Amino acid sequence: MTEATDSLLPELARKLVETLGLDMAPEALDPNAPLIGAGLGIDSIDTLELVVMIDRDYGVKIDNRAAGVEAFASLAALADFIRQRRPATSA
Amino acid sequence: MSSRPRAFVTGIGVVCAGAKNVAELRSLLAAPRRRFAPPTLFPCTGTSAGLPVAEIDGLPIGLPTDSDLPRTHQLALLAAREAVGSGPIPDAIIVGTTTGGILRTEAGLKAGSTSPDDYRFHGLDTVALCLAQALGIHGPAMTISTACSSAAVALAVGQAMIRSGLAQRVLVGGADSLCRLTFHGFRSLQLLAPDGCAPLDANRAGMTVAEGAGFLLLESAPSRPTLAVLAGTGLSCDAYHASSPHPEGAGAALAIRRALDDAGIAPADVDYINLHGTGTPDNDAAEAKAVRAIFSAPPPMSSTKGLTGHPLAAAGGIEAIIATVALGDGLLPANTGLVALDPALQVVPVTAPTRAPVKTVLSSSFGFGGNNACVVLQAPTEQTAAASTTSPLALPALRVAGAACLTAVGDLAQTWEALRRGGSAVGFVPDAAFAKSVVAPFARRLKRLPRLMLALAQKAHQTSGISGPPGLIAVGTAWGPLAETQDFLRKLFESGEQFSSPTDFIGSVHNAPAGQIALLLGATGPNLTCSAGDRSFAQALLCASLNLAAGGSALVMAAEAHEARLSPLFEPASQGVHASDGGAALLLLADDSAPGARLRWLGESGARGSAFLDGLGLREAADHYDAVLVNLAAEFSSAAKNELDELAALARRGCPVCPIIAVRDRLGQHASVAATVAALAARAVTEGILPLTESPLPLARKRLLLLDLGARSAAVEVFA
Repeated sequence: MTEATDSLLPELARKLVETLGLDMAPEALDPNAPLIGAGLGIDSIDTLELVVMIDRDYGVKIDNRAAGVEAFASLAALADFIRQRRPATSA
Repeated sequence: MSSRPRAFVTGIGVVCAGAKNVAELRSLLAAPRRRFAPPTLFPCTGTSAGLPVAEIDGLPIGLPTDSDLPRTHQLALLAAREAVGSGPIPDAIIVGTTTGGILRTEAGLKAGSTSPDDYRFHGLDTVALCLAQALGIHGPAMTISTACSSAAVALAVGQAMIRSGLAQRVLVGGADSLCRLTFHGFRSLQLLAPDGCAPLDANRAGMTVAEGAGFLLLESAPSRPTLAVLAGTGLSCDAYHASSPHPEGAGAALAIRRALDDAGIAPADVDYINLHGTGTPDNDAAEAKAVRAIFSAPPPMSSTKGLTGHPLAAAGGIEAIIATVALGDGLLPANTGLVALDPALQVVPVTAPTRAPVKTVLSSSFGFGGNNACVVLQAPTEQTAAASTTSPLALPALRVAGAACLTAVGDLAQTWEALRRGGSAVGFVPDAAFAKSVVAPFARRLKRLPRLMLALAQKAHQTSGISGPPGLIAVGTAWGPLAETQDFLRKLFESGEQFSSPTDFIGSVHNAPAGQIALLLGATGPNLTCSAGDRSFAQALLCASLNLAAGGSALVMAAEAHEARLSPLFEPASQGVHASDGGAALLLLADDSAPGARLRWLGESGARGSAFLDGLGLREAADHYDAVLVNLAAEFSSAAKNELDELAALARRGCPVCPIIAVRDRLGQHASVAATVAALAARAVTEGILPLTESPLPLARKRLLLLDLGARSAAVEVFA
């Protein structure tokens, strides 16, 4: 459990850079910096692209504005959001 | 009023959810009832289960021979046949469509079929070709693909065609069938309403994707009773965002203003507005602002998409027919689906069908790429019913102020030089020739075709020396953004039809590159995309020639991007050693007396064999031109044998013999090579030498004929 939790953040960083085609190393993403509307140039279409990725890969839905604001506050917030809602997996 | 011909609507034909003809539509509008339900055309389980659409049931309902056709083609035929009826054959047809035969393509890709026969209807052009053949239309068969404004843009082009005298009778409209691409695409954007759309509602939660077709017959001299007059049209581009409308509705307001001005009327003259009104939070908010910006006291208005759903490219055609019914029946259609009006919109829709005199209707259609089209329809009056006649006119020649091309050997100068040395430009454009040339905030998301197109547009604009944006953008592309289409469907099928990419969906619409060009150049003028196979460039030039006001400037271009999986399925004969991609862009000026190369669109014809030269008005061509440059796709090389024989006979009559040059041998096989030929020809007539023969050909007349020979033929002349 602890191991899985620890690996989620770097995994998300890698998926985010891959999914959006960002020209940067995943490690360079500040886990606590805002994801949207800041220096990364992530806009509404990117956000929807991430919503699809999170639903597909983690089974977590972000289908309203409030959830989006919470989930995309930062990379760390996104990891928390997914951890809290992720369906239990058969170990 | 002006003395130019007017576009009288003398026939209408429709098929949409709840109505399979005009009579049924009239009943539906008088007593609205909607039946939105989950699609039956493709599986919708898991993440998409239960999401409603507006599907038409009971197809096929046309002729037995129609049943082999894809759904979009069937819908288009139904509506087109009703519009033409027993009347005279139209001179031309203009079809707005975004889906074409993609529902069938999806089935082929899902099944893993590698048989090109399963993909023969993928080209958007096949809808117009099918209608032209079924109805016996010999003149231009055009395809406009500007997303959800397609049919309304087709109406604008049709009106321009009537006004120019180029045609006396034009069938215009649009058709789209439901398919996975649009359903899952809009779903990935979270734009589909879970319980069906509720335009203007405080709790509106999106649109309901639909299907249908709507066609109108426009005539300059009515051959039967006039139903309405297409009094004005207005086109604009937001130049703001790929998929979201300008938040203040600036582009929408511009299109409304242009349509009213074009019709020569004031806002107060409008009796009813048929809104675009998709039911998405952003559209309805922006559109309401646009309406309030133009109308100090807005007339009755409604969105009928709560009844019909949103039939995408067909919407502008179906809603122009609803406008015609409103005029004829004295009916204000209801804003179906509305429960609680959104007070923030500050507009008041018609809540129930209302009988009232209606003399003037404004109908709006807006699409991805910030593409806006508004049309004004008016009831026929004694004065307007006076027929005007005019003889066909030659379209104006446009001067080439800037040019760019991209081929396997590089840009225009590099391509010219390679050809002059006897080399070829066959092959794919190397990434290094364009990939990094466009710096825009949105460039990160762009795949091959938009990058090629942006690089071409930017270069042509730069070389023109014109500082401001072009007044009009007309783009040709036979296949559109294939990588985006392929990636979208691949991800969809890989996930068991559960997940797809919103980025690829927005990028897959054929007018996405044109919208991005508008964004890059800040071009808020008309923005058209033509997808008509090998005639795509010629049709883009036709659009510019028809719509360019004196002194105006237009960016006219065409390009294709090869896609490893789809291109071999769609154009099997064009693969192998001659497989190529790329294209060209020209910055053209109207009514400009400066010296330089000029392009003139001469004609498009479906006539074959011995009639083909007459169809294009080229019987005497051999004496006028230094050479004929023939753009013949490998796909049509055997089908066009008779036309090639006619051309050879024509060449022999010329004095001196006019050489016929097959351009694809040197420039490669791709549908938009016509644009590259035009860019090279413009340079050739300026320099007096053509580097497309074994040794460069001196041009005594400085006049070249460019001929596209395929499913239909098209002719453009280039001269200095």
